[in-house]
Amino acid sequence: MISLYLQGDSWAHRLRAGWKLLAVALASLVLFQVVSVWAYLASLAAVILCYASLGREGLAQLKLLRSLSFVLVLLLALHWLSGTLNDGVVIVLRLVVMILAANFVSITTRLDDMLEAVQPLFRPLGVLGVSPRKPALGVALVLRFAPHMLLVYGLLREAWQARTGSRNSWRLLAPFAIQSLRMSDNVAEALKARGGSEGLSR
Amino acid sequence: MSRFDMFGIPADKRQNAKDRVMATCHPRRGDMAFWPKKKNRDRPQVCNPEASPYAVFDRVGLEIGGKTILEDLTLSLDEARIGVVGLNGSGKSSFVRMLNGLRAPTGGTLTLYGAPAAEAELELPRHVGFVFQNPDHQAIFPTVEEEIAFGLTQLGASKDDSRSRARSFLALHGVEALAGKPVTELSEGQKQLVCILAVLVMEPKLLVLDEPMTSLDTLVTRRIRDKILSLPQKIVMVSHDLEHFDGFDRLIWLEDGRLRMDGEPDAVRAAYRQDIDLRLGRNPEFAGL
Repeated sequence: MISLYLQGDSWAHRLRAGWKLLAVALASLVLFQVVSVWAYLASLAAVILCYASLGREGLAQLKLLRSLSFVLVLLLALHWLSGTLNDGVVIVLRLVVMILAANFVSITTRLDDMLEAVQPLFRPLGVLGVSPRKPALGVALVLRFAPHMLLVYGLLREAWQARTGSRNSWRLLAPFAIQSLRMSDNVAEALKARGGSEGLSR
Repeated sequence: MSRFDMFGIPADKRQNAKDRVMATCHPRRGDMAFWPKKKNRDRPQVCNPEASPYAVFDRVGLEIGGKTILEDLTLSLDEARIGVVGLNGSGKSSFVRMLNGLRAPTGGTLTLYGAPAAEAELELPRHVGFVFQNPDHQAIFPTVEEEIAFGLTQLGASKDDSRSRARSFLALHGVEALAGKPVTELSEGQKQLVCILAVLVMEPKLLVLDEPMTSLDTLVTRRIRDKILSLPQKIVMVSHDLEHFDGFDRLIWLEDGRLRMDGEPDAVRAAYRQDIDLRLGRNPEFAGL
């Protein structure tokens, strides 16, 4: 499952998606002007407090940083080598605060609320005859089917391994592409069966 | 002005040609001529949801890429529970897809809910729900609640309204606990149930199911089958398992795209079994596949 949403009913879940996104955007504008390490440490504490307010599951989300630690350490090391360690610390803290804040919005906002909040951005597409509903539907489809594609690839690999003994091969790419296309055909048919991407209230 | 214009039409014929184009594209001259008409808006409803029989096939045929899939089908559908059997490649899937407008006949006339199939096509998803064999291809949203709510937004409900209605619909069917779950984390039985509910929430008149129990274990198969039989909707169901048609009113047997037999489920089942035995006896080896 790659949708980040954390089910719940906290204060953060109840806030409107638009406000949360706006808050993060404003915070990033302000934070990019600040150079004091203390200000960043304070905002880091505030963000972590936000996660803590979601309970144990919320704090567990901080493990996101683990996958980023490599990049952050590398960044810090580069700054240290070039003699600008202080700047490095500020930059790394800034990144950490912003990433955590953005992720906090992701885990407390349902996908369709998020899409509805950003839908006005797609409105200019309407001039070209593209309904703003379509990009939203597209994002939902990607989130739904990416894990399924991994599963399909896993099955292909098993079938390959069962007959060859080797685990992976570039030769799986072609059947994988074909299976993906066939799957998208089926999905399109299922979508059409329920009225298509434009809906029935036209 | 030159003697010929860019289309090579002589000057004296020009006006005439333009009139002819106008007459074919825009029969009513009062319309805003060169503005494309808004698709479907204010289009009168062509389907009559109470039509009986709801589907009338008259010598219907279907050809795809030069291959004949269905041929000379003449029958009408009205019974509450109709089953469809046939060997692989007999045209069952194409036949039931016609009921939802997913396939358009290439020959004969097909009338669905009182309207010609081609005209009814855009309205059909309202009246005819379709459940596919593989739930992984049907559930198109990340979470169960969104999947159920989708059908309601398709019918024009607002987002908040459709979400709360989706939740109470799940509760009505005793599975409110599934609401927030990601579809990918459901069991096969739960997935198929969610697919059926996602279609039912649109309150169709007819529910078409194309081998809905193929990937389910025996216990879940029984549960899903009981669920299907308890529905107020009319049912058309394709299955390879003849037991699934217990309690059905009618069974249609297709063979090589043609109607082989049509009638009481018990009579058709007996004849179908006999035919299978015959084929096995005649051709016991795999060459008969």
